[in-house]
Amino acid sequence: MPTIRKIALNVFAWTIVLAVAFPLFWMLVTSVKPSFELFRRPPTMLPETWTFEHYWHLIERTNFLTYFRNSVILSTATTLVVVAIATLGAYSLVRFKYNGRESLAFLVLFTYLLPSVVLIIPLYLLLVNLGLANTIFSLVIAYTTFALPYALWLLRSFMAGIPEDLESAALVDGASRLGAFWDVILPQLLPGIISTALFTFILSWNEYLYALVLVNSDSARPLTTGVMNMLVSAFNIEWSLLMAASVMMSVPLIIVFAFLQSYLTRGFGAGGVKG
Amino acid sequence: MPSQTRTLLERRYAALGVMLIAPTVVVFCSVIVYPLLSAIYLSFFSIFTPTLEGDFVGLGNYTELLQTEVFWSSLGTTLIWTVGTLTLQILFGVGMALVLHQNIWFRSLARSLILFPYFISTVVAVLVWKWLFNDLYGIMNHFLISIGFIDFPMDYLGTMPNALISVILVGAWKYFPFVVIAVLARLQTIPDALYEAAKIDGAGPIARFFDVTLPQLRDVLVVIILLRAIWDFKEFDLIFLLTGGGPLRDTQTLPLLVYQEAFALNDMGKASAYAVVMMAIMLVFMLIYIRRTRTEDGS
Repeated sequence: MPTIRKIALNVFAWTIVLAVAFPLFWMLVTSVKPSFELFRRPPTMLPETWTFEHYWHLIERTNFLTYFRNSVILSTATTLVVVAIATLGAYSLVRFKYNGRESLAFLVLFTYLLPSVVLIIPLYLLLVNLGLANTIFSLVIAYTTFALPYALWLLRSFMAGIPEDLESAALVDGASRLGAFWDVILPQLLPGIISTALFTFILSWNEYLYALVLVNSDSARPLTTGVMNMLVSAFNIEWSLLMAASVMMSVPLIIVFAFLQSYLTRGFGAGGVKG
Repeated sequence: MPSQTRTLLERRYAALGVMLIAPTVVVFCSVIVYPLLSAIYLSFFSIFTPTLEGDFVGLGNYTELLQTEVFWSSLGTTLIWTVGTLTLQILFGVGMALVLHQNIWFRSLARSLILFPYFISTVVAVLVWKWLFNDLYGIMNHFLISIGFIDFPMDYLGTMPNALISVILVGAWKYFPFVVIAVLARLQTIPDALYEAAKIDGAGPIARFFDVTLPQLRDVLVVIILLRAIWDFKEFDLIFLLTGGGPLRDTQTLPLLVYQEAFALNDMGKASAYAVVMMAIMLVFMLIYIRRTRTEDGS
């Protein structure tokens, strides 16, 4: 009896899991089917002929690699800037006492929830006036608006989890405050910094609205708007090509996801994830 | 003397603390606080986007906004979308978390697969779903026809109410993993002793869920619902990319309206007014959420 129940539970659970994951399976399958096979009715569940022509097409005849490069630069730059500032900020917010600290923490949480559409018009005007529109740099600036509050909030809870005694012990041993930060706090905080960096990278990699508004030249366009443009501007939509683009676009996320799963779940527990 | 050196040290520490937070404050003021105040300021003007020239209209944008039908219909759509997708996310998310909490085969693989929709870009999710929804060759129509649910291929995104339902369903698919992970994390901390005690008292699995699991999940559920409500309310990418607000304006939510007004109809002042009103509505939820997290922090 228990085994029958166990099997029933497993079948039930895996049916749902596979149904949820099906769109992603279908994306993979479509990307390796030759174009004519897409129009087969009924659709073939697995490709009859496997082909990687769409991937070659994507790399050789579209701007995909430029977009990909832009996205890598943009997300890496945003992550580095934001994590550096937020690590110092979080240390200050958690371990120091000064006027205005509490209201600052409130402001961080508030901006963490703020909708982008409220900031986008003034930011657009600001960046146009500064002559920065249509550059990757302008997107780095725009991305800090959501990435910095997010990283600060996450790092703040990681920082709060480090025992204060560790720092005090270092201070008693004669270390300066910054020395203790460097030698004691940073090594302890490293897992938190890594998972914050990963989440920030994912957020920046997936961002769409700012990229849509602030950049309209192919040389600075990141993947999200670039790939979407391929859909809109195509005369007849090549679904295999778009699915190949989707797969390639998700590869960095899969890598992050697969190799660093333990960090990811830790981040979830610490502060939730922006959606 | 010792007390004096201590205050000196404390003062030096405070100065160091301020120095460390300074970069954050500078960035916050220039890219968040200034634009935020600027958005409120802009909402008192009528600004033509291409030339960026405008006149002061005072509260004109606001009085006009409250009288336009499109504002109220967008607000209505936003509420339907938020409530609809949030409900599905919570129900499906809690259910899935309970299932994944059981000892099923390849549990960690199942968890990763469930998480995936949440991590992929909205652009990818939308492209995949548009392909699934394709009227002629999409697998969705093929599947629904073959199980006899529908007789003819359906238009999922071009007609009402299909478009709104599709958007809500795709939103639920994309965001329910957040609920799964948060609930799963909480489930793992419920002491087994509680279940043992309930079992001894003769509670069946359903009674155990309502008497033990649900009360234990209550706090985390409130936080999840608030957070997801805020994020769903301001969702732009998913709806914009799936339907663009169409057919006509039937799936146009407030964030799409702001974008439309600013960058398609070229009135940045009015768009700012929409954005400010939208933020004011969200503020209620934001303040409740902030109050909750702050009391939990104990600070």
